[in-house]
Amino acid sequence: MQNQLHRNGQVQERAGYFEVAGAHLYTVLHEVTNPVARVLLMGPFASERHNSYLPWVRWARSLAAANIEVLRYDYRGIGESTGSFEQMTFEDWSQDVLLLSAWLQNRSPHVPLFLHGLGLGAVLAGRAFDEGIGEGLLLWSPPANANQALRATLMRWVGLEQIFKFGDDRKSASDYIRSIEQGSPLDVDGYRWPVSLWQRSFDFALPTALASEEAAAQAYTRPVRIVKLTRDAAPLTKGGVVGYDDLKDFGWLYAPNLEWILSAASKSGKGVACA
Amino acid sequence: MLESIGNRELIALDGLGVRLQGTYHRPADHAFPLPGSDPIANRPGVLFLNSLSLPRAASGDSAVRWADFVAELGYPAFRIDLPGLGDSAGDASTDLLDSINAGRFEAVTAAAMHELATRFALPGMVIFGHCAGSVSALYAGASSPDCKGLILLDPYFHLPQAKRSPFRERLSDWARRSSLGTLLSNLYDRVRNLRLSLQGEAPPANANTQLLNRWKQVTATRLPILLLQAPGIKAQGSKPRVGEFNYIDYVVKLAGRKSRVSAEFVEGADHSFANREGRAAVQRHIAAWLVSHFPLPGPSLNVRGVSALRAGETQTDSENTQTAPADRCCALEGR
Repeated sequence: MQNQLHRNGQVQERAGYFEVAGAHLYTVLHEVTNPVARVLLMGPFASERHNSYLPWVRWARSLAAANIEVLRYDYRGIGESTGSFEQMTFEDWSQDVLLLSAWLQNRSPHVPLFLHGLGLGAVLAGRAFDEGIGEGLLLWSPPANANQALRATLMRWVGLEQIFKFGDDRKSASDYIRSIEQGSPLDVDGYRWPVSLWQRSFDFALPTALASEEAAAQAYTRPVRIVKLTRDAAPLTKGGVVGYDDLKDFGWLYAPNLEWILSAASKSGKGVACA
Repeated sequence: MLESIGNRELIALDGLGVRLQGTYHRPADHAFPLPGSDPIANRPGVLFLNSLSLPRAASGDSAVRWADFVAELGYPAFRIDLPGLGDSAGDASTDLLDSINAGRFEAVTAAAMHELATRFALPGMVIFGHCAGSVSALYAGASSPDCKGLILLDPYFHLPQAKRSPFRERLSDWARRSSLGTLLSNLYDRVRNLRLSLQGEAPPANANTQLLNRWKQVTATRLPILLLQAPGIKAQGSKPRVGEFNYIDYVVKLAGRKSRVSAEFVEGADHSFANREGRAAVQRHIAAWLVSHFPLPGPSLNVRGVSALRAGETQTDSENTQTAPADRCCALEGR
């Protein structure tokens, strides 16, 4: 059973829970009739999910409006998904990508599947793509490894926290990093980061072939697009003001990426039914 | 894909023609001690609203935990995304904060409450709002007969400055990190305090008079209200920063002695209440308040130190840890 959100023309959004080992992932399928492509969205990490939720949902809706079916979801232990965040590993989150991409692909195997990730999601998407999943890959601001994604999240949180602290009460990002490296878990914006998460993040890396589009072109026959987002893309990137910047117009970002997906889908070699 | 797992069920509402996405947290089975008794008769539901533009899980997924906790106590809990927010349909206003302060979500919240009360055969709803969510809760509470109580976390009753200039941001940042800046900031506070003392007990010019009127309306009906207040910026205990008007004292006085307003200060919480002290304190306070104002029949009426968190959750909320930050662009600034 699925929960239909709304229907706009041929687009309807269905929220549901997807069962994985020991937990359920919250998913929203932006379902379209006869899609020209499918995209699995892998969003930002932990507290970044909340900051970037509105532009991320609007991106999904933009894709769906262009006849691209989209599945977005919450990582295990985060947001509406169940599971204990403290017990999650990067391998768990990787496993979720494999399961969801298989589910999405099986909806109609003749339609090309694209993976799209932002921040930590880009690392997850890149690794899945490297394993042969998907007909195309779109990365927004991919970090070299998960540790960079954690640091970016930490930096944003520290920056915000400092707004509310004066003088000696202000702790720097290096204070927090020192603390977790000395074995104390960190509470970052309501999420407790276990020490093991930090330690393992250094080795959970983006495949080296995805360091640049040029390298990717040599390593893969499938299309790859890598976009480094600037501060203009806040709150998808660091910066911005909640309640203001998450409501601004992101058409300048959506349009070229949408065009790229449509173009790559048409060249994918997979038949596009009724497109 | 499933639409229901454990005690959670995904729901959609059609408040005022806009499709709203939400999550229903079913009350625990142990809350129905009497065979054949109506499981949810005489117990209101608790409706959680978005805090500004955050999705319905709230900072650190606190709302998910609190809703699970409320359900474990025996009260149906609902979290919804208001129009244009989270997974709901509709467009969010680009002047979201201003529009919320003017009551933008009053009608849709009231409609959602009515729809939930009807669909789940509830006698009414308690609205739970945090920061800007508490403003929407108050507007809706004053206008809807379905509202049976309010839980307001860090409510504010002024009209915040929409957005600070980059220069002002840099100046504030400098004041926070340098000794001289802190000194000047303290001096600035003293000057503001002098100005404040000259105006007597009247609220400042930037008070949200429309909201204060709603407050008067709603407290006059003796609706039970729980106010939870976290320490503010440069605050000393429950008192606001020097030079800032004490709105909490003001609205408690405004409510009068016959009102049923409980104001509690939550030491150790941050504005988001997402840190462990904040989360735990919210649970303690809402449990005591719900049981006091909306007692349940049978043994479940006891607050049994319920520690229900998220499915599979193992963390305890009793440890002292670092605080999490407030939301960016905190609406509390500029009082």
